[in-house]
Amino acid sequence: MNLDFGQFVPNIPYILQGILVTLKFVSVSAIVGFALGTILALFKIGRLKILSWIADAYTSVFRGTPLILQLLLFYHATPQLTGYDISAFEAGVLSFGLNSAAYISEIIRAGIRAVDSGQNEAAAALGIPYRPMMKDIILPQAMKNILPALMNEFITLTKESAIVSVIGVFDIMRRSQIVAAEKFKYFEPLLIAGIIYYVLVMVLTLVGKLVERRMSRSD
Amino acid sequence: MIKVENLHKKFGENEVLSGIHTSIQKGEVVAIIGPSGSGKSTLLRCMNQLEQVSSGTIWVNDKQLTDPSTNIMQLRQSIGMVFQHFHLFPHKTVLENLIYAPIKVKGLKRNMAEKKAYELLEQVGLSMKANEYPKRLSGGQKQRVAIARALAMEPEYMLFDEPTSALDPEMVNEVLDVMKDLGKSGMTMVIVTHEMAFAREAADRILFLDGGKLVEESDPSSFFSNPQTDRAKAFLDKVL
Repeated sequence: MNLDFGQFVPNIPYILQGILVTLKFVSVSAIVGFALGTILALFKIGRLKILSWIADAYTSVFRGTPLILQLLLFYHATPQLTGYDISAFEAGVLSFGLNSAAYISEIIRAGIRAVDSGQNEAAAALGIPYRPMMKDIILPQAMKNILPALMNEFITLTKESAIVSVIGVFDIMRRSQIVAAEKFKYFEPLLIAGIIYYVLVMVLTLVGKLVERRMSRSD
Repeated sequence: MIKVENLHKKFGENEVLSGIHTSIQKGEVVAIIGPSGSGKSTLLRCMNQLEQVSSGTIWVNDKQLTDPSTNIMQLRQSIGMVFQHFHLFPHKTVLENLIYAPIKVKGLKRNMAEKKAYELLEQVGLSMKANEYPKRLSGGQKQRVAIARALAMEPEYMLFDEPTSALDPEMVNEVLDVMKDLGKSGMTMVIVTHEMAFAREAADRILFLDGGKLVEESDPSSFFSNPQTDRAKAFLDKVL
């Protein structure tokens, strides 16, 4: 093996700058996915058949097709259909946010279902309306149950974000490929990118554990 | 006054309540007793519309509870309920359990709600548990908190659905004592219970249900010493 990381030292800052791009991308996508996923989950458990049907259809489509296909569709079809010149970052956030919303909605739906139905009854008996009941009583309890699954989803999102490199977002992955192409050596830059992703995921895991501990105060 | 007229309740094909007539006067303590499956809890749960009635009418004061145009949420504020399994909010402290609905639903100021909450905790003997989470409480303590939580809304009526059935025997009395005091203070109470001694001592009137029908209705001393119907006799023979 003739690994030579030495010659890549000047390129490391360039690759590291990708962390900010990746983090920005992942956090915006996660927020979009979480917000939309929560709404979809409420649709699914709600009484209005039409809304739960819409949410189920949505989940079915976004879970049933490859993410990279959704990404390319948003990137290439948006200008063609609407005339809006969508940036790679926007297309990425849109497809990742919408895609993870489908998964997150299922996670949250299951979490809400797992909350004891007595909680609904207690809230109803106190005259608490639906909205505050969901926001202050049911969802906080559901969140505690689903936190591990949710962290899992965010970790997946962080790793899979590497796919946006194909439409030219300058994230960690893309930067390492550019460096590799420049020097005609692939192994070291990819390894560097791999280490960065791994560290990011470890940090995320740690954050998840801390949040979990905080949320279990009431135990 | 709560007035129940010709109340029917079906779960699918199964008729749980068939034609109940009764009324609860202000300040009265009424115990509903009967064998399991007789429809006691269902009758109680109809009184605040946790169960929707199949047919019949329920009046609370001058409002028709069973009329779809009635604002149930608002009416429920005047009807407190205590459940067999407490249903405290596990992610909130005892104090937060007590002040949440008064602040959120009645628009009380936080300091007012807290003041009231501490008074109620004092009343049920749990002032020192204000900042504990429900998980740290015993069953009897949880149920006393649940009673205080319902009282925090300053209801006119209190419904109790087998409040001591999930408790260890040594904790039953601490809850019943709180309920007795509440009854003496003039609260209107409807209690589904299996505690015959308590019903006899604390209730003004007994409703005996069997097979979804109100079989017997009388004051406790005549009901327990001289039941009029065979079914009530048979039931009392088994439980006393």
